[in-house]
Amino acid sequence: MSYLIVVPLLPLLAALFVWVTGPRLRDRGARLGVLPVVAAFAGAVVTLVLVSSQGPISVRLYEPGAAANLALPIGFYFDRLSAVMMTLIALVGTIIYLYSTGYMYQDRGYHRYLGLIAFTTFVLLCMVSSANLMMLFVFWQILSWLLFLLAHNHTHTATLEGAYKTFTLLRVGDAAFLAGIVLAHTLYGTIEFQELFVRAAATPVVLSPLPGLEISGATAVTLLIFVGAMSKSAQFPIHIWLPSSLYAPTPVHALLHAGIINAGGFLLNRLAPLYGLSSTTLHVVFVVGMLTAVLGASMMLVQNDIKKTLGFSTIGQMGYMIMECGLGAFALAVFHLIAHGLFKATVFLNCGNVIHQVRQEPASPHARHAVEEHELPRLTWATGFLTTLLLPLVILLVTHGVLRIPLLESQGTVIFLFFIWITSSQAILTLTRLRAVASWKVSVAMLLTLLFVVFTYLFAAEAFTHFLYPDPREVAFYFQAAALPGRLFDGLVIGTTLLTVLGWVYLYAQAHGRTMPIPAWVQALRVRLYMLLMNRLYIDGLHARLGQWIMRAAHSLDKRSSGRLW
Amino acid sequence: MAEWMVLWLPAAISVAGAVSGFAIRSRPTALKIWVLLVSLASLSALAALAGHPMRPALQWPLAALLPIAAFLSLLGQPPHEDNRAAWIMTLLLLGVGLGAMVGHGGMGLTLLALLLILLVALLYRYRALSVSHLWQGIGMYGVGVICLATALATVPPVSAVAVLAVCAMLLPLAPLHAGYVAALAGLPGNLPAFLSLLLPVLGFHGLLAVLPHLPDTVRDVLPVLGLAGASYGALKALAQSRVRALLAYANLSFFSILWWHVAVVQAASPQTTLYLSAVGLATNGLLLAWYAIRARYGDMDLRAIRGLAHVMPRFAVLFMLLALAAMGLPPFGVFAGFMGLLLAPALPLSGGLFVVVVAWLAASWYLLDLLQRLLFGRHRTDLRYEDLHRTEFAALLALVLILLVMGVAPTRVFESGGHALPAHVATGDILWNR
Repeated sequence: MSYLIVVPLLPLLAALFVWVTGPRLRDRGARLGVLPVVAAFAGAVVTLVLVSSQGPISVRLYEPGAAANLALPIGFYFDRLSAVMMTLIALVGTIIYLYSTGYMYQDRGYHRYLGLIAFTTFVLLCMVSSANLMMLFVFWQILSWLLFLLAHNHTHTATLEGAYKTFTLLRVGDAAFLAGIVLAHTLYGTIEFQELFVRAAATPVVLSPLPGLEISGATAVTLLIFVGAMSKSAQFPIHIWLPSSLYAPTPVHALLHAGIINAGGFLLNRLAPLYGLSSTTLHVVFVVGMLTAVLGASMMLVQNDIKKTLGFSTIGQMGYMIMECGLGAFALAVFHLIAHGLFKATVFLNCGNVIHQVRQEPASPHARHAVEEHELPRLTWATGFLTTLLLPLVILLVTHGVLRIPLLESQGTVIFLFFIWITSSQAILTLTRLRAVASWKVSVAMLLTLLFVVFTYLFAAEAFTHFLYPDPREVAFYFQAAALPGRLFDGLVIGTTLLTVLGWVYLYAQAHGRTMPIPAWVQALRVRLYMLLMNRLYIDGLHARLGQWIMRAAHSLDKRSSGRLW
Repeated sequence: MAEWMVLWLPAAISVAGAVSGFAIRSRPTALKIWVLLVSLASLSALAALAGHPMRPALQWPLAALLPIAAFLSLLGQPPHEDNRAAWIMTLLLLGVGLGAMVGHGGMGLTLLALLLILLVALLYRYRALSVSHLWQGIGMYGVGVICLATALATVPPVSAVAVLAVCAMLLPLAPLHAGYVAALAGLPGNLPAFLSLLLPVLGFHGLLAVLPHLPDTVRDVLPVLGLAGASYGALKALAQSRVRALLAYANLSFFSILWWHVAVVQAASPQTTLYLSAVGLATNGLLLAWYAIRARYGDMDLRAIRGLAHVMPRFAVLFMLLALAAMGLPPFGVFAGFMGLLLAPALPLSGGLFVVVVAWLAASWYLLDLLQRLLFGRHRTDLRYEDLHRTEFAALLALVLILLVMGVAPTRVFESGGHALPAHVATGDILWNR
């Protein structure tokens, strides 16, 4: 089975081929370069089939005990998670490479760019198939650098600043990840995944970093590594690099939003057994994910630029994904990142054409939407309202009465059901806003959307969970570890339910030109919030201030020490 | 051949080569070929020592890197009369440095004092190219000579502390780093690049010798100084606008981490040697690359030049790779050595780790800033650009490759008798299963 290690290496071959032959073979060389990338995709599919039927495959080019003595202990571990990720990355990589051969055709750095795309695919494939924490970390860091290069335009000042910010913030995450690895090695004496999980579970360690403060070893390690995941997956408050990198070519964004940014979610899944040992970390993950989801989506609403809107949408979605991990739904997070990756890659690859079309045709987008009814019809509203409110009731009755699942004791099941409800509500709300017409077609479309969402969650997501984590006890273990305090959980469920219902009421009232009695302070708060979100919570400014403060301190130290012996 | 002759041969070749170089100093091209041949001969003599029983005492891997660094720093130099003195001095310093590593007791200390005197003379000779730390550097090395004289005249622990002070001047440790900064920022030609490796190697060699004889109080202070130096060096590097000063302070930060590690662990491992060599070689490469710019446009401020990626692509690629290596990114040797230090089994968990990681992180800021300022942005149109010559390119490429080899196979580079490990393939049921 050791031949499988060729699969992640194929895109490297493509990169080298394009870089070396590019100047001589020109476009032909670039087009030939796609062959190894396509072969990598085929290899990833074969790997997926193999590991699904035969179990995980491990190929190590070192003695497991000596991993810490090597800077790059090369080893590959192909399991269902890595095979799924490899398939996704290789597929997206292939599409983006092919798209780029046309999109970047006349660019001066055409070959350099294509080589970098292939090289990034290679790095991503190696990262997701790493057999140990060190190799994963090595490729994780190389990815930070590649992001800097890909989001780069040598002569554009704003791009330079954005690229600098991207790399320095990603390095903050890298530093925390490094600290996590060092701590894990010091506490458990290994950086091999399997051994690490077994030892961490078998030997609970308590650390006391400050007098009176005690923290478990697993919590400390997972928290540090989570900061690494936060940086790559653009989690609040380290998310500011993502909007800053939006000057990069559109295909780069497709790769970034479909592949690179998922690294955080992958990392949490890879280390799920370790995260399952620390409820504290999972709760922190949940809070950070929730904050990012809410803030990302809110900031998206006030953007006036298509790329920035998509960028903040990605931040929100990544928050959603990380929140799922924090709730113990690790497989759901992978399902989410795949779906989001494919969706966002498509949107990004299309957005260039849309912008181009708008520039060419001033009448686009067509004005015919303007003649549509502004009022939200009763039929449409009623369908949406009833489906989104009736559905949870039906599900509750079915699960409680028919399936006899003790909902109050199983947060995991509630989370699953809740996500079905929220997703379907979101889809139907969007549908309603897009087509405010009174038609049975819209109602049917709503019902079909609902059925699709329910089917996807109940069958596809459930089947995917079973595929990634075949042992139901493992899934239950993660849900149990992530369980929130009962009252908090109930409060969150009730709060979100109220918000969704209020959304429907508000939508209806607004569509019928009715004003809701909103207190003045709420109106004022709304304006303030708008300003705050418009300015991205001033976090970019705070980041700049912090940088200036450090530089002032450095210059002050330099000035004071210049006349002295030291 | 007698054992002592074998050990002293590499040093003797270098010194003899330097002395005979004076005879052909009027012909720069011939002199350049000569100094290159001599450094290769010195390396060959060291290679012959690979299987010698005295190899461990010599710190062979470190000693072998010195002629390599000398050769590569000389290779990229244009044959110009302004560089002649620097070339001859490179051989002389190489010979004296190797001698100081071979020599025991008084002989070693005397040669070290000679090296410091040579550095003082060089700094004084080139004082016209003044830098802010020049006089501090001269003063510091003068104090170093006095320390060595004291060490010769006294017994441990006084002599050990005196030698330790000199080691802190060579392998820079705050507050005794001024000489190192002055040497890197003020000397001409290839000397800063070569000294960026030679001085730390000698300091480290001396440190290992005196470490067991140090009083407990001094041992307790060293980790604190190491951490302070790591932070101080990083902050100072952030504030520099001149490349050589920036790299000197970056090295102060990186080498302070080494001091901290050795002081805490009280031992040196192959990873320590790897780290030292990799940091030295990466700086060597960056200084050589900067020399290529200095040779074309003079010792410019960073604000005066930009956009080289567009007009000097070969330079840009190699400079970028060397900067990546220097900031501790994989797959280069600095990262390998750094991880080796942090994963050492004897290293206890402490707050010092936090400082060290922050210092490592800071390197990404100041070196990336250097990289961006130099390579990116719109290039100046009033300058005539010329990419790297073949020899310059070869020297920098060789350094990048050495750093890459160090990063990928560190134990095989720094340990003898390494063997290839077989591929281990396992399928099916394992402990952690999905």
